[in-house]
Amino acid sequence: MTDSKNGAAGKLAGWFSSRNSGLSRCVIPVAAVVLLVVIPLVVESLYNLHILIMVFFYVIAALSLRAIVISGQFPLGHAAYMGIGAYAGGMASKWLGLPPGLSIVGAAVFTMIIGILVAYSFARLRALYYAMGSLFLGVAIVQILNAGGTWTGGYSGLSGIPPMFDNSKVTWYYVALGLLILSALALYRFESSRIGTNLKAISQSHLVAESVGIDEAKYRILAVAVGSFFVGLAGAGYAHYVGTIATSNYNFMATMWLFMYVLVGGINNFYGPIVGTFILILIPEYFRSLKTYSPFISAGILFLFVYLMPNGFAGLFELAVARIKGWRAGRTGNAAAD
Amino acid sequence: MLLQIEGLTKRFGGLTAVDGFTAHVDEGEIVGLIGPNGAGKSTLFNLITGVFPPTKGKIVFDGRDITRKKPHTVAELGIGRTFQLNLLFADFTVLQNVSASSQVNPHSSLFDMYFNTRRYRRNEARIAERSLEILQLLGLENYKDELAKNLPHGFQKMLGVARALATSPKLLLLDEPLGGMNPSEIDFSLEAIAKARDSGVTVLIVEHNMQILSLCDRVVVISFGQKICEGLPQEVRENEEVISAYFGGEHGSA
Amino acid sequence: MEQVVATLFNVLILSSMYILVALGFAFLFNMLGILNLAHGAVYMVGGYIGFALITSVGINPWVSILIAALIMAAFGVFLERFCFRPFTGDFNRIVMVGVGINVVLQTAVNAMLGTKMQALPSLVDGYLRFGVVSVSYQRISIFVIGAVLLVLVSWFVRKTKRGQQMQAISQDIEGAALSGISVHRVSALACALGSGLAALAGCLMGSYLMLSPYMGDLMLIKALVLVILAGIGSIGGIFVTGLILGGLDAVAPVLFSGAVSDAIPYVVVVIVLLIRPRGFFGREG
Repeated sequence: MTDSKNGAAGKLAGWFSSRNSGLSRCVIPVAAVVLLVVIPLVVESLYNLHILIMVFFYVIAALSLRAIVISGQFPLGHAAYMGIGAYAGGMASKWLGLPPGLSIVGAAVFTMIIGILVAYSFARLRALYYAMGSLFLGVAIVQILNAGGTWTGGYSGLSGIPPMFDNSKVTWYYVALGLLILSALALYRFESSRIGTNLKAISQSHLVAESVGIDEAKYRILAVAVGSFFVGLAGAGYAHYVGTIATSNYNFMATMWLFMYVLVGGINNFYGPIVGTFILILIPEYFRSLKTYSPFISAGILFLFVYLMPNGFAGLFELAVARIKGWRAGRTGNAAAD
Repeated sequence: MLLQIEGLTKRFGGLTAVDGFTAHVDEGEIVGLIGPNGAGKSTLFNLITGVFPPTKGKIVFDGRDITRKKPHTVAELGIGRTFQLNLLFADFTVLQNVSASSQVNPHSSLFDMYFNTRRYRRNEARIAERSLEILQLLGLENYKDELAKNLPHGFQKMLGVARALATSPKLLLLDEPLGGMNPSEIDFSLEAIAKARDSGVTVLIVEHNMQILSLCDRVVVISFGQKICEGLPQEVRENEEVISAYFGGEHGSA
Repeated sequence: MEQVVATLFNVLILSSMYILVALGFAFLFNMLGILNLAHGAVYMVGGYIGFALITSVGINPWVSILIAALIMAAFGVFLERFCFRPFTGDFNRIVMVGVGINVVLQTAVNAMLGTKMQALPSLVDGYLRFGVVSVSYQRISIFVIGAVLLVLVSWFVRKTKRGQQMQAISQDIEGAALSGISVHRVSALACALGSGLAALAGCLMGSYLMLSPYMGDLMLIKALVLVILAGIGSIGGIFVTGLILGGLDAVAPVLFSGAVSDAIPYVVVVIVLLIRPRGFFGREG
């Protein structure tokens, strides 16, 4: 096994790659992280930093959605869970006066608990019922939040969430990026370990999975718990960043957009949600001068994917990498490509 | 007795699929369960492995009452099975199918899995080795990186058996393992099953194809959910009731 | 007393509108397993087209809403042919296209007319009085139109050949295809019918209440919830469930104030679902 040979770096790589291809798998993600870390030093526009911060939080949400989807379950109320995290965190900071760090983590745990309760009720039923139940719950949660009077701010939303630190964009940028990296590491390990394999096994055939000793109910609840925790984290973090939240960001359409982030990025790849979120948020932003017309860009991306791209943008990337490898192997006269 | 079934009955609404079925399997045996279509053979497997609970009756495995246990528990206790429709992990490779099925032994806890503990890494290494061995036993090692759904039918069936063996079972339930195979595949499968038995696995086979009788130590015949005959392959083959049950409905190739 | 009558009409009108929209949604869902997320936008655009025809072009209101329905029915055919049919079986893609179209239509309406809420003018003026109670003809006519439409659709689905073909496809698509039914034709028809109905409902609701570019999203959710509660595959169930949901939505604001009343139907729904996951009339096992 490679980790014993390469010491700390190898151990780290071994922790991540279940297929032992070691450090090579880390190159691109590390490069991307370095790039992201450097950006605030180079980019001056606070607005651009703001967009990136938003993207970071939504990437966490999209990754958390994927964690559930790989088990074959479809949480059609996932954005509402983000709302639970946002409101729980926001209300804890605002009304209970808890320190923001505690509020955020507490909100994530709270969201996770709710997710577990719901998943538990549906764990022994077909995944279809979980999907339907999630849908209803999502809608109900939004309505309940709307009905919360002064506590939740009702339809106009909750404002006045106390700021964290010095509330500067650059600080928030690194905080959000840090949360993203931690969450991504945690979720990557989740998926690439045997846990992830078991979830994918359940998704392909729950009968076979059970017959080889995989406790379907346990794993389904686990997937939802993990997904709920991270989406709650994203929601609470985002709430503290923007200071004002409204239920219109956590409705059914918001859930559909989270799914779009995952699908457009490519559903067969861990990096899909990351790529998809960046694409679907950044590209329309680039065209923001179109103002009212900018949603056409988002729709355009969806149509582009639907009509022209079978494997999503992450799939396109894999294709490119495979081509490059094949080209390299040809160049060096090496018959066996990777 | 490794497996003991007593008075097992299963009713689906008005339909009685299994009726007062009693039988047993001893360690080291290969027992065949034969009968015409719709006789209740697969239902019996589903009852034993806990896919659904029986209406009445008891199932005892290795000294434990497993009547109402869930399938994953039954698997942990040592029963592995294949499925008649040959369900597999279609999007996994052949090797992944087998290694993903190796949950029971050696067992890693969720903590082990997530935090990549030493025990987990040891287990995974052993699983990787053993998966390859199982594939070799069944002649699949050349296909180890093929996607399961791309395999030809006969190999998919073999993969089903490999998957079941990966659970280190004491008792292996094979549901129509010879279905849809050509003669050379059938011979190979019979050999493989015999080898499995020799390595210590008890086997209970549901089969349509009468060729299975050559392999069985004992045969139980089921028709319309009831046991109608039991004994040595030779005795069963000549039994009047059995012949009428088969000719009345369908008959397999002899 | 006045309020009871008003609430009663509210119940009937809301229910019939929900059912009209949900039916169109259910047709595609039951027959082809298609989650048409553009359906809400169709409802909304239908209403706006009616509005535009009446106020800008000056066409008679009754004719306008009919034209709006026909336009959206044609759009429905377009949807089925170019957005859904190419991706038969690929559920994810169809959902994505639906979202895309939803966005396009909403943005277009937003850009052209702004987010200010508008209303369709009344179809009929005047009040009906009996005794102490008066009800606007507007209300009565909307209810009557809704009811008539429902009866017509009901008759269509059950008694006409195409309607029965739709039912056949819902039950067993392969069997239906093998017995000679042109699944493509019937699907196009179902989508056209559903879209036309949604457009009509959009106009009626736009006249009864208000138009807004976001009314589509709200109605889509109602339709989705309705179809699931009624039980996947059950058309008859939609009528009853629609009445219940419309009833809840109409009665709750009277009993409870503000946003709480919006929440109540959904809390009820969640409770029902936890007790009986299959919905009221589902025939799925």
